[in-house]
Amino acid sequence: MKRALKIAGYTWAVACIVVVLATFVGNNYFSAKLASSTGITISPWFSGGEIVGSIDHATYKTVIHRPVFDGLIGERKEGFIQIEWQPVTALPLVIEDGIDFTGDGKEDFAFRLDTAAGRGTLTPRNPSVIAIQTLVKVNQGWVARIQLRKVS
Amino acid sequence: MKGFFLGLSSGAVCAAYCAPVLVPYLLGEGRSVLQNFLALLQFLLGRLLGYLSFAVFAWGIHTSLPQDIAHRNLLIGAAYVFLSGLLIFYSFFKAGRACPSAGGQEIDHRLRNSRPSLFLLSMGLATGLNFCPPFLLAVATAAEQASLLQSVLFFLTFFLGTSVFLIPAPFLGLLRGFSPLHVIGKMAAGLIGAYYLFIGATMLAGGFYR
Amino acid sequence: MMKEHPPHAKTIEVRQSPGKSFLFALPMMLLTLMMMSGGKIPADPQRLFVFTVTYLFFNLLFFLMIHTGKTDRYRATAFITYAILFIVSFISHMFEARGSMSLSQEKILLCEVPFCHLVIPMTLIPAAFTKTIIFPGTITGGYASIASMFTIWIGASLSLGRGWCSWGCFFGGLDDAFSRILKKPVFRNINPRWTYLPWAVLLAVVLSAAAFLSPTYCTWLCPFKTVTEFEAVTSFKILVQTILFASLFIALVIVLPLLTKRRTQCSLFCPFGAMQGLTNRINAFDVRIDPDRCINCKRCVTACPTLSVTEESVRAGCPLISCMKCGTCMDVCPSGAVAFHVRGTPVAGNRNIKRMLFLYAAFLFLAIFSGGTIQDGLSRIIRLITTGSMI
Ligand code: SF4
Ligand code: SF4
Repeated sequence: MKRALKIAGYTWAVACIVVVLATFVGNNYFSAKLASSTGITISPWFSGGEIVGSIDHATYKTVIHRPVFDGLIGERKEGFIQIEWQPVTALPLVIEDGIDFTGDGKEDFAFRLDTAAGRGTLTPRNPSVIAIQTLVKVNQGWVARIQLRKVS
Repeated sequence: MKGFFLGLSSGAVCAAYCAPVLVPYLLGEGRSVLQNFLALLQFLLGRLLGYLSFAVFAWGIHTSLPQDIAHRNLLIGAAYVFLSGLLIFYSFFKAGRACPSAGGQEIDHRLRNSRPSLFLLSMGLATGLNFCPPFLLAVATAAEQASLLQSVLFFLTFFLGTSVFLIPAPFLGLLRGFSPLHVIGKMAAGLIGAYYLFIGATMLAGGFYR
Repeated sequence: MMKEHPPHAKTIEVRQSPGKSFLFALPMMLLTLMMMSGGKIPADPQRLFVFTVTYLFFNLLFFLMIHTGKTDRYRATAFITYAILFIVSFISHMFEARGSMSLSQEKILLCEVPFCHLVIPMTLIPAAFTKTIIFPGTITGGYASIASMFTIWIGASLSLGRGWCSWGCFFGGLDDAFSRILKKPVFRNINPRWTYLPWAVLLAVVLSAAAFLSPTYCTWLCPFKTVTEFEAVTSFKILVQTILFASLFIALVIVLPLLTKRRTQCSLFCPFGAMQGLTNRINAFDVRIDPDRCINCKRCVTACPTLSVTEESVRAGCPLISCMKCGTCMDVCPSGAVAFHVRGTPVAGNRNIKRMLFLYAAFLFLAIFSGGTIQDGLSRIIRLITTGSMI
């Protein structure tokens, strides 16, 4: 018994050295496997959520993400929706968009973006639309997050 | 949800506070795990009753609070600051203090001998009604809820959150070193208290933190 | 009950002659050559120079480790060099990519923030419930992706346990360095109660991260943001956070290690380290104190930078779960009682083999993991000297 334990212990120790080598040699392989087998993604609170639609304006387009209310379990009361305008090179000085994210054919809010001044104006037409959370210029265009609150 | 997490986060403290009361009882009797489990259930039931009566109380506070946002934030902010201050104080500086309901131990001693089942229920009720700091934070948060139903729900989830930590209690016959958990729970509560202190302070400062 | 030195006490049999040391170090030379070069030696003269310096640096340290029988001194040299050059390399990267150390809203929105192992404990509960990672980084690809960091963490946990904190963590070298500056500590006694604080921080950040779905340790507490990257101060909240993490850095990484000669950030605060302690339990290597050799002088108790050796643990024959396998205790032990050990084997006997097995796993990890960064950091410094700019 003692002998068997000893052998097992030493084998395990040698295996640890192999694990170190494998960790680095196979890093790309293992990371890809880890990602694909777990199907894990970035939380919508950071990624902005999946894109659900876009509005085509001749030279540029408005990209609409899904509203994000995701909680650990179920949904939260507070959330946001992310809107993007791209590409940055083709954006006019002033953009005006009416966004319908509920899909009921009625505009939920209007957004006016002054790209020169970097200012946005939000006109809520739905009580769940609260305020502009972030408005940032990124390399492909402009990104805005609009704060939402569920109304019960 | 929020209640559940507040419960979870402060549950360790609750367990740490209450275990000294509960554990000796469970261990002292030298009963089986199943019997211990039943005892725990009685204890939890008492706690639940205590909490639910507080839910009603918190709702009462809520309805009597001024409705205009700035004033409410000021009040709730002040409550947060005061209570989290208490929480920090208890977790870092009052290391020796046990569960506040331990004070009732004397009286309960008689109950314990005459009616053991009632004893546990009343102990639970006492811990449910006591003013231990994490619980007071829960009251302050619940006071923000709009309806009686929401308030009750909040306390129900808070109860579930804290109970998670008491579930292992029946198996405590095996657990010797309980004191590390005690210290850890208290320190964690202190950290969470610090966070609530910040929220309270910002609420007080401008009422813009939401 | 002070014991007399047992007759064999002074013979510290892990020391080796130069010839034998060379033989023992030979496989390391080959493995590091293979791993650090990736199969091809750089042709560019400056790159070649940096590569050679790094390669020789590591192998010299490993040779000395075997030859002198001392572990911590040479480990710390490599470990601290890594931490310093990591910062040099990281900051130059940041300046190159975005012109400052501050993390812009843009990088956060585009999910381009490098992921570090300290975030791991906070991501676990949300990942289990929502199948998402609560961090603005990339899952695969890009600089420091989440999946590659997880892979490295799993590898380190399996092979070294909490040895990670002394052989792998690119931040640990900082408080390690500051804890070595003074000869004698100014404050000797740290209440052992504080060793529970990392667990409390762990509990608090894991639960709050799950509740808010945001990596709360990173936003509020992480002291190492001071030397890597941090959010630009655009609101009162961020100002409070900045003051908080910067003061934690000054206190826990500089001042307290200096005054106590302990690694205070790593052993009294870091939540990742606390969690990593658990992996010590599933690891082949640990540290043991041979009761037959111990003369109860308590030098290991005073010397352990992580407060992992207490009087009880000396009696019990092994340090606490928080041990980082740094080797300090064995270096100071006058009777050779403390040693690396392989689980399942008897504590006495074959100490050289056990030590060698651990050192191969640990040093290899350090050399491969840090090799690239150290080379990059060195080239940045050379660039600074020759052109006046690091980027
Ligand atoms: S350093 Fe520690 S293990 Fe070594 S002899 Fe002294 S007390 Fe014993
Ligand atoms: S017990 Fe020894 S090896 Fe472990 S952390 Fe302390 S000094 Fe380092």
